[in-house]
Amino acid sequence: MNRLRHRLAVCRAVAFVTYKEWSAYRTHSLVSAFVGPVYFIVQYFIWTAVYGSSSTFGGMELEQTIRYFGVSALIGYLTMDFADWNLQMLVRTGKFLIFALRPVHHRFFALSQKIGHRILGFFFEFLPCFFVFMLLFRIDIVPAYTGWTLLSVALTFLMQFYVNYCIGMTAFYFVQARGIRTVYMLLASVFSGALIPISFFPGALQRVMMFLPFQYTNYITAMVWTGSDSIGELGLSIPQAVLCQAIAAAVTALLSEVLYRASIRRFTAVGA
Amino acid sequence: MEIIKVRDLSKIYTTYKRGSGFSAALKSFFKREKVTVSAVDGVSFTIEEGTVCGILGPNGAGKSTTIKMLCGALFPTGGSIDVMGFSPAKDRTKYVRRIGAVFGQKSQLIFDIPPVDSFAMNKAIYGISDADYKKRLDDMTELFDVGDVIHKPTRVLSLGERMKCEFIMSMLHAPKIVFLDEPTIGLDVIAKNKIREVISRMNRNGTTFILTTHDLEDVEQLADNVIIINHGRKVFDNSLDKLRTTLGSKKMIDLTLAKPFTGSEINGVAVKPGEDRLRISLEVDTEQRSITEFLATLSSTVDFTDISVRSLPMDEIITRIYTAG
Amino acid sequence: MRYIKIYFTCLRIAFSQAAAYRADFLLGNIMSLLSNILFPLVTVVIYANGASFPGWSMWQVLLIQSVFAMSTGLSSMVTQGVMWATMDHIREGSFETVLLKPLPPLFYLTAVNFSTGSLGLFIGGLVMTVVSAVKSCTSAAGVPAFMVLFLAGAAVLCGLDLIMAAISFKWVGNSRIPEIFDSISEFGKYPAGIFPKAVKVLTAFIIPVASVGFFPASALLGEVEGYMLIAVIPCLVFLAFGIWIYHIMIKRYEGVGG
Repeated sequence: MNRLRHRLAVCRAVAFVTYKEWSAYRTHSLVSAFVGPVYFIVQYFIWTAVYGSSSTFGGMELEQTIRYFGVSALIGYLTMDFADWNLQMLVRTGKFLIFALRPVHHRFFALSQKIGHRILGFFFEFLPCFFVFMLLFRIDIVPAYTGWTLLSVALTFLMQFYVNYCIGMTAFYFVQARGIRTVYMLLASVFSGALIPISFFPGALQRVMMFLPFQYTNYITAMVWTGSDSIGELGLSIPQAVLCQAIAAAVTALLSEVLYRASIRRFTAVGA
Repeated sequence: MEIIKVRDLSKIYTTYKRGSGFSAALKSFFKREKVTVSAVDGVSFTIEEGTVCGILGPNGAGKSTTIKMLCGALFPTGGSIDVMGFSPAKDRTKYVRRIGAVFGQKSQLIFDIPPVDSFAMNKAIYGISDADYKKRLDDMTELFDVGDVIHKPTRVLSLGERMKCEFIMSMLHAPKIVFLDEPTIGLDVIAKNKIREVISRMNRNGTTFILTTHDLEDVEQLADNVIIINHGRKVFDNSLDKLRTTLGSKKMIDLTLAKPFTGSEINGVAVKPGEDRLRISLEVDTEQRSITEFLATLSSTVDFTDISVRSLPMDEIITRIYTAG
Repeated sequence: MRYIKIYFTCLRIAFSQAAAYRADFLLGNIMSLLSNILFPLVTVVIYANGASFPGWSMWQVLLIQSVFAMSTGLSSMVTQGVMWATMDHIREGSFETVLLKPLPPLFYLTAVNFSTGSLGLFIGGLVMTVVSAVKSCTSAAGVPAFMVLFLAGAAVLCGLDLIMAAISFKWVGNSRIPEIFDSISEFGKYPAGIFPKAVKVLTAFIIPVASVGFFPASALLGEVEGYMLIAVIPCLVFLAFGIWIYHIMIKRYEGVGG
């Protein structure tokens, strides 16, 4: 009980400091409030034109597709992080040493940092965009099932973090770890669903995607948020989809733990 | 009581040779050439609780590797370390709670916010009670005279102010041992003195300090004991006083002569030429002959207008130990 | 004449650097090519599912996007380095070193920051343009108009780079400035017919991003309209504006930083 309270105190302190640190750049976050809606407008016109030639597309109707893109942007603001970039930088510059000398697991520290950073994102990215979408563009952006949506977003938050942390740890092994990060980001931009809903891809590819991390960081969450009761070609129900997300998040967390143990041994054996 | 016990400590790095250019990179993809470097090689020493120990050595001698192993950031390849009953690398999470560390080149402070916010973060991380935190912070801000400074964003602080804040940050949890790696590097005289003053004050209250530095004044003013490492091996380990006399009890006599002197020795002591022909120095080993006797015969041998007698300077001693080791 | 000589000397240095770090050069180019040519995937997916942009074949839409990629590659080589270099100098407080050079600051920065890393994108865009042009049965008659419109479009992108660089004088350390303009230029990647009239006018004459992909592609397809050629004027005005605002910022910087 005492341990838990201590961990909560650490988390709150680190999150607060991170919030404060990034507050200096809050006007930078407001860039999102412009960029998000502009991309959305482009998507809106593309898909309105495309649906002119067929009423459903990949099992989704126009109205749902439009909502999908709005929601997908919002999910990004709630769950993005650069734990990958940050950890690679710490390892490359040797600053990781400072974290090795603190009585706190660096992954816990980084997760707390993400919480602080995303609280800032909630106010300066999520809320402005949410209101632009809802009040200005008049799209139905409110979650269909609040409980499932919250759970799904929380799982996405963790999933994204553990994936990025794993990518960050590659810096313990490779000098050119930045390349690995770029490749992942490239793949994620296509297969996370932020660019195209995975439902639009061929069935075989959709099935492969079930076993890769990408779609759990955006597509599944956006489908749960918009309240789709039959997700993708497999026709997953919302509880089934969230269960898949939970499994994916648990596997990634486990992988990050295994990798961390191997990495820290390597760090302390090879040198800082 | 011995707070640190190090036995036969060694650290061997294995790296792979890496050519430059595309073809070498491609080749190394298939066949890599191993290179082993022995950074620390069988070093043993002990450090007494409540002392200040200086670890000296030229660049690349293995100082830094040694201190990183003492902090628990690096696993030793061989030998054992015992600090307060802990094996630093193995018991790291429990161990690091009890030590403090200041690495002159690696900042703990968060760049964009005031130090006081970084301190508050460490308060939570180390689980420091409100009362302790307030008392220690007040004490130390007063000692360092940084009452206003800690409320300004770190990025606007001068190097000296930042270094003082780094100190405060690493001592808030009242560690029993503090590791300092180049703590005064690049600072002006006033800031250096302030930091040294605080170190000796904390030391009087019982904190043990391990210090690596290239600034010999740090050592002369602070250290009780000195360990010198060169080429990964320990070449000296004793008190500061012993270090001063390690090359024998030697005195330097600087003379300004009335007329140029042409001989190569005076009363059996070799003459070292100075800046011009009227200035010479003599190095006298006082264990072999009494200094009074030598001075008495000196005045009858040469004609001089000025004389000064001094101890062998520290950097001279250290340089001789480095080159001998 | 002297400036041309200096520029080509810098160009030679940039390429010999690229040759010295061949592996980095190749990798960087492949990455920038891949990240810029992935978005046509949306178009491919749309047509693969049997849908379409009304009145456009897949290869015609891909032609717009290929021309856009080629234009991005060209402008990135020439002026993107200026933007990043300006941002860095302002953040580090080292812009004085630029002012100390015996050359006009903007020319100096353009010359020394030629980015060989975007060569791959330019060549990749060129190849895709040729393929899409062949597949969508374009006529050679459109080539002169294409050349004019293509260069106008590249001028717009260069102007955008300079405007971003100018903004970084004021909005210090904001590495997200480029996102603003990337999002706006998104409008140039699709047939203008899908947008409402207001957006069409805006992207043709005010922030002329339609000239980057859509107009030159239309010219190749033999569907050039009069207003597209008139839109060359705002493109050049846009580049001139970029140069002007950058100089204003330098003047201000000299006034303040003393």
